[in-house]
Amino acid sequence: MKRHNANRYWIALYLVPIVVLFGAFFVYPLFFNIYTSFMKWKGSSEMTWNNFANYSKLFSDDTFLLAIKNNVIWALSQGFIQVPLAALIALMLAREPKGWRVMRTVYFLPNVISTVAIAMVWVALYNPQYGFINAILKLFGGEPRNWLGDPSTALAAIILTTVIYVGYFMIIILAAVMDIPKELYEAAQIDGASTLQQELRITLPMVRGTMVTCMTLAMAYGMRHFESTWLMTGGGPAYSTTTMGIMLYLKMDALRYGEASAAGIVLIVLGSVVIVAIRKIMGNKDPMAEAAQ
Amino acid sequence: MRMTKIGRGFLVAAALLFVLPFAGFAQSGEIVLKWPCIWVGKDSKAPAIAEIVDNFNKANAGKIRVEIEPSNDYNAYEQKVRTAIMAGVAPGDIFTLKLNASTKEFYSSNLLMDFSKDLTGEWKNSFDQGALQQSIIGGKLKTLPIETAVLPIWYNGDLLKKAGVSKIPQTIDELWTAMDKLKAAGIYPSSQMSGDTNAWTSMIWFSWFATSFGGPDVWDKPFTDKAFVESAKLMKRLFNDYTTPDAIGASAGVSGGHFLAGRTAIFSNGPWYAGRADLRATSFFPSIVIAPVPPAGPHKNIIISRLQANIAAGETKDKARHDAIITFLKYLTSKNNMAKLAESSGSMLAVNSGYVPTDPLQKQFYDLVGKGYQTANDLEAALGAEATLEFTQQLSALALGKITPEQFCSLVEKKIDR
Repeated sequence: MKRHNANRYWIALYLVPIVVLFGAFFVYPLFFNIYTSFMKWKGSSEMTWNNFANYSKLFSDDTFLLAIKNNVIWALSQGFIQVPLAALIALMLAREPKGWRVMRTVYFLPNVISTVAIAMVWVALYNPQYGFINAILKLFGGEPRNWLGDPSTALAAIILTTVIYVGYFMIIILAAVMDIPKELYEAAQIDGASTLQQELRITLPMVRGTMVTCMTLAMAYGMRHFESTWLMTGGGPAYSTTTMGIMLYLKMDALRYGEASAAGIVLIVLGSVVIVAIRKIMGNKDPMAEAAQ
Repeated sequence: MRMTKIGRGFLVAAALLFVLPFAGFAQSGEIVLKWPCIWVGKDSKAPAIAEIVDNFNKANAGKIRVEIEPSNDYNAYEQKVRTAIMAGVAPGDIFTLKLNASTKEFYSSNLLMDFSKDLTGEWKNSFDQGALQQSIIGGKLKTLPIETAVLPIWYNGDLLKKAGVSKIPQTIDELWTAMDKLKAAGIYPSSQMSGDTNAWTSMIWFSWFATSFGGPDVWDKPFTDKAFVESAKLMKRLFNDYTTPDAIGASAGVSGGHFLAGRTAIFSNGPWYAGRADLRATSFFPSIVIAPVPPAGPHKNIIISRLQANIAAGETKDKARHDAIITFLKYLTSKNNMAKLAESSGSMLAVNSGYVPTDPLQKQFYDLVGKGYQTANDLEAALGAEATLEFTQQLSALALGKITPEQFCSLVEKKIDR
């Protein structure tokens, strides 16, 4: 009994660092953020109670509504384009074609390169005068465009750049696919199932749990997206690529900390809604885990 | 289960490692002043600042020591200053900031020292009185002006010559004619941009137009005023007819890059750009002429300028520390040191140092200021970050014809915090 109690104390002691860190860097800032979202605060001056004024100002601002729309587009594109594309590549590589190990590394490589460097490369590729994309377009008789300078193309142009990060989810899905017992495929082959049927009836259902996790991660990234857009367009032109993260940052830049906090809270709430929704729609069942039990 | 000696030793070592960096090692009685400083590394002011601080420390050995805390990234530095003030601590004993409509909010903080009582007599007279006046807000002088900047337009003389433009345009019609000639010669007339958070080079053009239409106090008027609408029309013209195809959404790097590469003939920026090694290395460098934007409206003889850097100090109740800060600031802003700083960096300073530049391009800036023009702020300095951001974002929409000049002005007006 004594030993049992001693262990409990040690377990509690081991938990202290993470509880302290989580409390200091998540729980406290979250509650402070909620508190300041109801305040008028310019950083240097005293905070004054502002009711829901920060929130009502945000929701009456067309730019903020556009930012929400853009974030939803980001989340959907990451979840429903990036992840299926990653799954497709993973399924191909799982068949272990010649050079698949090299391809696996190549696909993953952009994830270890600085976002800044990649963004600058894309800016150069999209350059209306000297960019590679317009050069190709001109070669086929097309009209060059200012891809990042035109509100009708800027958002799509930036979202397209994230395709190169497909290797991140590909690695996760590939690991799950590789874990599927080979016997299932052998049995299917004996029953005369085609490759496509094997993928549709065995692989995809078996990696469903992993896919849902990837989609959750991808959509969460989409909801908090900031870096590449900030580096490539700064949220422009005419706010066409702006996101809630950028709005939040710019509110802070303008010393409107109360409004920035309100934007942060909206971002957290919407992000949570999207994640809960995807888990509800796609389900949480993991056939691999069930099979293992 | 007891903690071993090794475990205890580890904890003590960890605690020491955590605590030691925060412990001061100043000699007894010596006041150490921390200066988080942006003028370090490759910054043009770095060598002179390092020398000034070094000389001060030698002269005050054992009494006052200034320690520079280097910061190479200006945006990061600004964030550091803002975050510190927001968190209720002064960013340092001495620090700098760009005084504009947003940062003037810091004047309401008790963390900044008010220099009103200390700045008297000869020290006060050594400052540019206009810049000093701009630094007084609500009767308080919580920052001292150090660097000012006039923001003219720059002509690539070689390209003008190539296009058959024989003289610098003096009127707006002459400017359009020159631009047409440049265009006909296959040269992009001007560098414009609508990217970043302030559309810097285009914002300078707009500021010239607006003040020429509405006078030096134009920023006090509603942004829906005719002066701004007319200026917006001219900006649309510049974007549609007289700039590079990538101007919409372009950053300051792109805008400047075109001028550096000799692709555009007319550019806009402050005097610090003259110190760039890549500009000095160009074949057209000796041909550069700087001039005001020809007046588009009835108000002439106005030049656009701004306070580029002000120096601030952390408020302290310790009289000895207070006096040490003032002693250093007096030394820093002494005529000799300011002349040294101006000479080595090419910057225009807000302290009358008697410095006469010998560099031809730098001399052009001093000559322009010496012509007795009336000064007016640029849009960013006058209206702050949020209005400037709206200006930047909607400038793209204006240039693309998605909104009218009237709508453009109306959208910016909504973001002005009056």
